[in-house]
Formats: sequence, C-alpha cells, structure tokens
Amino acid sequence: MKHAILGAALAVAFAVPAFAQDYTIMAPANPGGGWDATARSMQEVLQAEGIAPSVEVINVPGAGGTVGLAQFVADSAGDPTKLIVGGYVMVGAILTNASSVSLKDVTPIARLTGDTQAIVVPAASDIQTLADLVEKLKADPGAVSWAGGSAGGTDHITVGLLAKAAGVDPTKINYVAFSGGGEAMAAILGNQVTAGVSSVGEFSEQVKAGTMRLLAVSSAERLPGIDAPTIKEAGFDVVVQNWRMIAAAPGLTAEQVAKISADIEKLNASAGWTSMLETKGWANTYLAGDAFAAQLDADIAATEAILRDIGLVQ
Amino acid sequence: MSQQPVERRPNGAAFVIAAGLAVMAGLLLWDASGLKQDGGYAGVGPADVPRLVAYGLLVLAALTVVSGLRGDLPRAPRQAPAPILWILGGLGLQLTLLHVVGFVMSGALLFGMTARGLGRKPLWLTVTVGFGVSLIIYGVFDRLLRLNLPGGPLEMLIFGG
Amino acid sequence: MDSFGLLMQGLQAALDPMILLYALIGVTLGTAVGVLPGIGPALTVALLLPVTYGLDPAGSLIMFAGIYYGGMYGGSTTSILLNTPGESASIVTAIEGNRMARSGRAGPALATAAIGSFVAGLIATLLLAFLAPQVVKLALTLGPREYFALMVLAFVTVSATFGDSALRGLTSLFIGLALACVGIDSLTGAERLAFDVPQLKDGIETTTLAVALFALGEAFAVAGMLRPEEGMHKITGRVRMTTQDWARSWKSWLRGTFIGFPIGSMPAGGADVASFLSYAAEKKLTKHPEEFGNGAIEGVAGPEAANNAAAAGTLVPLLTLGLPTTATAAIMLAGFQQFGLQPGPLLFVTNAELVWALIASLLIANVMLVVLNLPLIGLWIRLLTIPRPWLYAGILLFATLGTIGVNPSPVELGMLILFGLMGYGMRLYGYPVAPVVVGLILGPMAEQQLRRALAIAQGDWTTLVSTPVSATLLAISALFLVLPILMRLRGRGGVLSQVAGDAD
Repeated sequence: MKHAILGAALAVAFAVPAFAQDYTIMAPANPGGGWDATARSMQEVLQAEGIAPSVEVINVPGAGGTVGLAQFVADSAGDPTKLIVGGYVMVGAILTNASSVSLKDVTPIARLTGDTQAIVVPAASDIQTLADLVEKLKADPGAVSWAGGSAGGTDHITVGLLAKAAGVDPTKINYVAFSGGGEAMAAILGNQVTAGVSSVGEFSEQVKAGTMRLLAVSSAERLPGIDAPTIKEAGFDVVVQNWRMIAAAPGLTAEQVAKISADIEKLNASAGWTSMLETKGWANTYLAGDAFAAQLDADIAATEAILRDIGLVQ
Repeated sequence: MSQQPVERRPNGAAFVIAAGLAVMAGLLLWDASGLKQDGGYAGVGPADVPRLVAYGLLVLAALTVVSGLRGDLPRAPRQAPAPILWILGGLGLQLTLLHVVGFVMSGALLFGMTARGLGRKPLWLTVTVGFGVSLIIYGVFDRLLRLNLPGGPLEMLIFGG
Repeated sequence: MDSFGLLMQGLQAALDPMILLYALIGVTLGTAVGVLPGIGPALTVALLLPVTYGLDPAGSLIMFAGIYYGGMYGGSTTSILLNTPGESASIVTAIEGNRMARSGRAGPALATAAIGSFVAGLIATLLLAFLAPQVVKLALTLGPREYFALMVLAFVTVSATFGDSALRGLTSLFIGLALACVGIDSLTGAERLAFDVPQLKDGIETTTLAVALFALGEAFAVAGMLRPEEGMHKITGRVRMTTQDWARSWKSWLRGTFIGFPIGSMPAGGADVASFLSYAAEKKLTKHPEEFGNGAIEGVAGPEAANNAAAAGTLVPLLTLGLPTTATAAIMLAGFQQFGLQPGPLLFVTNAELVWALIASLLIANVMLVVLNLPLIGLWIRLLTIPRPWLYAGILLFATLGTIGVNPSPVELGMLILFGLMGYGMRLYGYPVAPVVVGLILGPMAEQQLRRALAIAQGDWTTLVSTPVSATLLAISALFLVLPILMRLRGRGGVLSQVAGDAD
C-alpha cells in the first residue's frame, strides 16, 4: 500500500507539467539515423517555437521504414495528432520488401529536407573523373566494387541509374552493401573498394581533408561550395535526391490536413528550423501540396523502374 | 541446474529435442529453396548460409539422438506447473491488454500474477502492489525520462494524457 | 606538451562545482535509463540528449559524457543482480556475474564491474587522447576479409567456453545461428524466414532474445522448482572486494581493456564482440578454471572492462574520421553538432579545444560513475533481499518494460514470451543459453563480411588468406580448433573434461 500512496504522490507531481500531446512523430528507424534525427529536430523546433507545445517522438525501426509505416497505417487512421517521418529510402523499401502498405496509405504533408548523393573514390585511386570510372565499369563491371548502404537503398539506386545511363547492364554491377554509413566509409578510406556512394554531407569532411576524391554529385545543379560536377554534366542523365518528408495519418478530414499543413509550414518558416538545418548540414527542399504529390508519384514510378532493372523487384 | 545424477538409459526428451532441431533445419532448407540462388559476384548467395546452418542442425539432431540412446543427456528435474501457468497468464494478459488498458494496469496484472505464482497470496494484494510499482515506473520513465510507454484511460486520467 | 596542456586546461575547467554537478546528474540519468533491460546506450543517449540542450557548452558536454558512460555501465548492474542483461555487451557479464550474486557475492561482482569499467574507461580514454590518429590508421587497413577472420576467431574461442557438453553448447550456438538467418538479407534485400511478419523483417532483436532467454527463462525455472533452493539470494560474505578479489581482478581489467579498445576502434568491431573475446581469454588464462560457470570473478572483470574500453574505442573512428560505427556513435555525432563540432579528419586541428574539453569530460564522467556507483552497491544488493515473489514480479515487469519502451508491439512481446519458454526448456535439459545469443550476434556479422570479401574479390576464396592479418587470425583459429583434439589424443583430455564437467 505504501507504494500506491507514493505513486499517487508522484502522479500529482507529474500531472502539473503534463500536457495533452499535440503531436506524436514516429521515426520508422532506430535512433541514430537520418529519420530519427529529422523527427527529433522537428520535435525540438516545434516546441521551442511554440507551434506545438508538446511533441513526442517514438521509434519503430525495421526494414527501411516499412515496419513503422505498416504500424502507423494500422494504429493511427483518423488521428490528427500522429505524424510519421519518411523519405526516398522508403519508396524503394516498400517495393523491394513487397510491403503490404505504401505511401498511398498515408497523407503526405510536405517534403522537408534532402541530401544529394555523391560518388567518391579513395584518394589513392588512379581514377580521376567520373568518365574514368565509367570507362572501367564498361570494361569489366565486376571489377568495379561499389560501397554503399543497404541493398535497394538510395545508394544502390544511384549506382544502378548511372550504370543504365552509361549503357552497362544494371544487373551486372558489383554493389557491396554495408550496414550503416560508417562501415561503408571505412571501406572506401581503407581502399577496400573501387568507389563509394553516399550523401554529400557524409563525405564532405573527408573530401576537404583530401582522403577521398569527389567525382560527381547527383543534384540537377552544382552545389554551392562543393567543387564537383553533377553526374548530368558528366554526360549521364541521372538526378537523385534522397529527400525526407513528413506525413500524417490516413483518413483525415480536409480541415485536419489543413491544420497540420499549416503547422508544418510555420515550422518551415521559423528561424529555429533554418538554424537547425544549418547545424545539421541539411538542405531545405520544402515542397508541399499538389507539387509534392506530383513529385512523389514521379519518384515512385522512376524508382520502381530502376529496381526492376537492377533485378531487386520482379 | 543439473544436480541430478546422470542415469544411463534412453531419454525420451532427447528425441523430442532432436525432432525440434530437425524441424528447424527443415524450415531453413524449405525457405532457402525459395530464395534467389544466384550469389552474384560473391558466389555465396542469401540461401547458402541458411543451408549450411541447416546441415549443422541435422548433424546435431543425429548426435542428440545418439546421446539420448546412450542416456547422456541430463534429465529434467520434476516441475511444478501451476506457478509457470500463473506467470504465462500474466505475460499473456499484459500482451493482450497493453494497448487497451495501458501500461500501468497491464503491468499491475503481470506483476501481481507473477508474485501470486511464486507463492505470494492473496491476488488482490499482489496486483495492488503491482499497480503502485507500475505507476511509479510509468511516471519516472514515461513522464520524466520521456520513454514512450503505451497509455490507456487510466494514464490519461492520472497524468493528463 | 601541446595535447597534454590542452587536456589539463580541459580538466581544470571541469573542476568547477556546477560542472561536477552536471556530471553527476548525467551519470545518474544515464544509469537510470541504461539499467532497463533492452534499452541500450543508443536509446539512452537519444532519449536524454535533449536534456543537455539548455546548458552552456561546457555543462552540456559533461552531462552528455556522463549519460554516455552511465548508459554503458547501467546494463551490467541488472546482468549481475537479476540475470537480465541490459544490452548485448553485458550478456557475458550475466554468466559469471549472476552466479556470483547467487552465491552471495553480488557485492564483489558489482564492485569489480564498476572498478573494471573505471580502469578501462580511464586507460581507453587516455589511449584515445594520445593514440587515436595512429590507431585509426591501423583500423582502416582492415577490410571485410580481416573482419571475417576475426569473427571466425571469436566463434572458435567462444565455443570453447560453452560449459560441460560440446554437443549441447554447439546445439545452442546453431539455434542462435538459425535465428540469425531470420530477416532481410542486407546484401541482396532477400527476405529470409520472415513469413511476411513486418517485425521479423529486420531480424530478431538481440536484446529481446537475451532478455527472454536470461530473465524470463530464469523466472520460469525458479517458479517451476518443486523445492526452491534455500538461501539462493542470501548475501553472505563481504560486500567489498577481498584482497584476493583484487589480486584476481586487476589483470583481467587490463586484459579486457587491451582487448576492448582495439576492437572498439575497428569500424566493424563492437563492444559485444570485445566482451565475448575477453570472456574466452579469461576462461583460457584463469588459474581457477573450476570456478568458471560457478561465478568466477575474472569472468566479470574482463568483459566489463572490455565493453567499456570498446565504448571509448568507438570514439576513435568517430573523432578522427567522423565515422559513426555504432548506433550510439551516430547519436553522439548528432550531439556533437550542437556544440559546433563537425567530426572528421580535421577535427583535432580545427576544434582542438572542444575535443580536449570532451576528452576531459569523459575522464571526469568516468570518475563520477565510480563515485556514484561504489557506494550504491550496498543499496543495489539489498534488491536481492526482496522476497522471491516480489523480486521476480519486479524482474518480469522490468524485462517487459524494456521491450515495450523500445517497440510496444504485441508481436515483439509475443517473441519475448516464446523465447522465454525456450530459455526455460533449455535450462531444464542443461543447454547453455549464452551461445544462442552469441550465434545471433556473430552469425550475421560473419556471413556479411564473408560475402562482402568474396564480392570484392569476385568470388576468389583465396582473398580470405591474402593479407597477413587475416591469414594470422585464421591460423590462430585453426590452432584453437586442433589443439584440444591433440591434447585429448595425448591423454591429457581426461583432466580437462573432468574439470569442465564439474563446472556446470
């Protein structure tokens, strides 16, 4: 009984600062990844800017976000306080894992940030330009080993698109999937592989220090402050953006969606978000409404096509 | 655990264990047959390691049968089923009720039934104590340390959501 | 002189009473969350990081260091007292540590874990400070083939420590290896044994399996006993370590440190692998082999030192290259960014002051950890005097709390129960449970590294022995395999198996 009394006392103590949750953001990944970081950054800015006084983050990791997505669709339908972070990786994961739910089952609100992909080689490599690398790839696709993230992820897709654009059979690429950015980067630095693909941000410090050579970036235009051509400039029609978005639950009314969209717009316009993106080194690629919906459809179609070409989706 | 003297006569449990291992191996082999067989540049594909593990399990199953025949396996001490059923019941109730009544109530049931199973009576007392403990845990970990624990109506009432 | 001077400056700044208070709060919070089974340091740091946001950089940095070390250390307490490993790196601690607790020596077990963590943390942090650039250069020369060889070595040495029956030990290991096949194959995206259950797609969570096998299995076994062993959790003897405990521990601490630090520094190493190898080494080198399996203090001292040293080792690639090699490190990276630190090869040049402040903070947090935890040992072991029904009710509540806190899905809880029953069955028939977890952790690592190495070499198996490091590691593994057989053939095996037979 003593415990119960103590509990009641504690309850009173906690009841004061507790608000009803305004938003619960699901990060469909483990702590430490980009989605978790996005969710926790949103939490911080939403609270600090007073847009939503109480925001909670939950992690439901697994299978490129599809585990979290499935749970989100099942548990949150019609609940306007539930949000989920997602991104381009999810598009591929839904296809390769034959997920039962897709991005059509949630209400996408806005694209928030995005990373550009970068193609690098170890500093000790004799490859100087993307053309050199592609030449090797054409000569013997197996001899060019690529280090990157999990199979079917953005890195893999980037390599597949490049191979296809260069006229090399995408099923013949020797892509070596590493778990986590750290391990892939170690393999590149240690000269274990021919080339590596990941986001520009992950490589930028290494490139500055001269331990890696940046061959090309995957954006449509050159990036400010980064001395490398785009893949397009080098003659291959490949543009990839690893974007991250926020989505709401399925089955919401138009007013509910409008309110969430307005909050996210406020977040995007806030000074706190701008400085947060700056500290994290993320590009602001905010896109909402119909423009985002159209972009999403185009991305899904393109991703499905390339995953088929690589042979990951039947 | 194995204070029992080892008796040298065939041990039925060994055959059950061996069968279990063989079933596991069969499952691995069956699943492997449905996977892409091509190992790509590595030559070792997704189906190869599960196959290797399955063969290992089959060998171990055979050896388990042999050692069962020779009576080499330790015999299980006799068990009291009731306490185990109490605990299983508590775990099962927590699993099914977690998202209905929330962490505190389902935790109270698990706590109470486990204590009851291990001989502490009466049940209402153990569940009440469990309620107090769960409440404190919920308060500290969910409210103070922001670990997300499922809340139900009760948590809403006490902590305001 | 330069680095030393900067370190001293950092330490001096940290001796401010307010700063020390922040360190204490950080360590306390870190321990409180880290103690939960299933909630490892990664989630602990992620949860508590926002707490540090409001402070000035110095205070925030030290609180952060405190949380990190607290979260690392918290897991060992529950391993020892409740046989419920907090995270994968403290699984082996549960083997000997809990045996010690049961024979009334919980105090010395906790003390050797705390002091071992401290010694390892101290040495490893100093190594980090002064040798990081050199260490990382070595670590980078290792690729998939070397890691594969390291995993083979870990398998071979660890398998040798699996209790009295090779058959049952290997069976447990293979059950672990089979469970390890579940989930999406990360190299090809192929789905193995997941049966379209979303929660199985990412494989079986190590902590779920460990908590189930150890804590739940144990609870069932205790509940099922017809005549409970009397005085199972009595505290006999002294709470403090005896002279003999010290004499037996210090070498293990040092060995653990020197196993843990390099393995933690390797981009594909990890604290769990370090703790396995340390346990195997202690068991091989001990003068009291008969105590292994019954609560040998070396078996707690070594692995606990090793996992802490590995934790400091992870900071080597993180600070020198900006490589987050564990989930915890990835979150720390996010934490550093709030201090304006951009980890990378130029960090020691561009942010020298902050780096040294961080290293000084780690040293202070490490001291604070032992200051907080040594006096608490007396209190912790009181836990064991709680009557058995209440104690096990509490253990089960905490065991499920960890799983619920990480992922509140009925499927995850269902797996917890299922594996708990499996652990119970294994206990009944004398199968050791630790090898299952070892198989689950090492299996995928070995498989992935092998396939990566072969892919890079385009299917040429000789790549596995093509570098001196991998060839040496594989040769040592082969020696470990062959040696016991040779010894047995020469008739010395009788004594060995006698000893091993008594150890269960």
